[in-house]
Amino acid sequence: MNKKNLVFIIPIFTVLLASLFASKLPDTLETLAINYGFEDKAKKTFSLFSNYSFPFVENHYASTFLAGIIGLCILYILFKITTNVIKSLAK
Amino acid sequence: MHIPDGFLNNNLTVGLLAGSVSMLGYCLSKISKSVTVASSRVLANNVSVTGIDSQLGFSENANKYFQRLALIALWVFAFQMFNIPVKSATSAHLLGGVFAAILAGPFAGFAIISFVLITQSLFFSDGGILALGANIFNMAFIGSFLSYYVYKYFSRRSHYPGVFIACFFSVMTASLVCLLELELSDSIMFSTAFKDMMNLHLGMACLETLITLALIKVFRSINGQPNE
Repeated sequence: MNKKNLVFIIPIFTVLLASLFASKLPDTLETLAINYGFEDKAKKTFSLFSNYSFPFVENHYASTFLAGIIGLCILYILFKITTNVIKSLAK
Repeated sequence: MHIPDGFLNNNLTVGLLAGSVSMLGYCLSKISKSVTVASSRVLANNVSVTGIDSQLGFSENANKYFQRLALIALWVFAFQMFNIPVKSATSAHLLGGVFAAILAGPFAGFAIISFVLITQSLFFSDGGILALGANIFNMAFIGSFLSYYVYKYFSRRSHYPGVFIACFFSVMTASLVCLLELELSDSIMFSTAFKDMMNLHLGMACLETLITLALIKVFRSINGQPNE
C-alpha cells in the first residue's frame, strides 16, 4: 500500500473504530454538570448529525460511522475553501 | 470539554466569540504570510533573484502545506470521536491541540483546532454554537497556541519532556479556565468544584500525552517532517 494513502486511511479507520468501540459514558464536563446539578442549563441546538448520528439510518454503528465520514468530508471541504480564499486574497 | 449553549452567560459568550474570531483571522493572515514568504524563498533558490518580485505568490510547496494542515485536522476530528473511559462513569477523548501545534506551528494549530470545533458545533451539536468562542479559547488558544510555546520551552533538550509538559498544560489549564468561565457565569462555585475538575482531567491529561506522542510519531513517519 502506498504510504501516502495511509494518511487518509488512518482517520477513516479511526472513525470506524470509534463507531464500534467509543465509550458512551458522559465526558468530563458532562460528569461535572451532572454531579453539581447544572446539566439542565444546557440548551439543545439543532444540527443535521446531532450526537454523531446519520439521519434515517437505524443501525447505531452504521449511523455513527456515516456521520463521522461526513464530518471528515465537511472538514476537508472547509479547508479547501479556506485555502482558496487565502490564495485569492493574497493575489 | 465542549461547553454547550446555556452554561455561560451572554456577556462572556459574546466577548469570547469576538476574541476568538479576531484571533482566527489573525492566525489565517499569519499562515498566508508564512506561505508567501516560503514561496519566495523557494523561488530565490531555484530561479533568478530578479524573478521574485514578479512571481510572488503560492507555490506547489504552499499547496502541500495546506494539504498537510487539512490532514492534521482530519486526524484530530477522527480521534476526538473516540471516547475512552477514564474513570467510573466518565469518558474522555483527545484534545489534539499539542499534536496540531507541534506538527503545524502555533498559528496553524489554532486554526486547525478552531475549524474542527466549528465543524463539530455546526453539524454535530458537539459544543454550543454561541459557546463556540469559549470552546475555541479553551481548546484552540490555550490547548494549542499557548501549549506550543510551553512545548518549545521544555523541548530544547529533548522532544519527550516537552510533549509531556505541554499536554498536561493543555488539558489542565484549559479545564481550569473552563471552570473559571463557569464560575463567572454562576453555573458552579470554583472553590467547591476545583478538586473534582482537576481529578476528572488528570486521567485525560495522561491519555492526551500518550496519544499525542504516538500520533506525532506515526504522522511524521507517513507524511515526513512537517514545517513548524
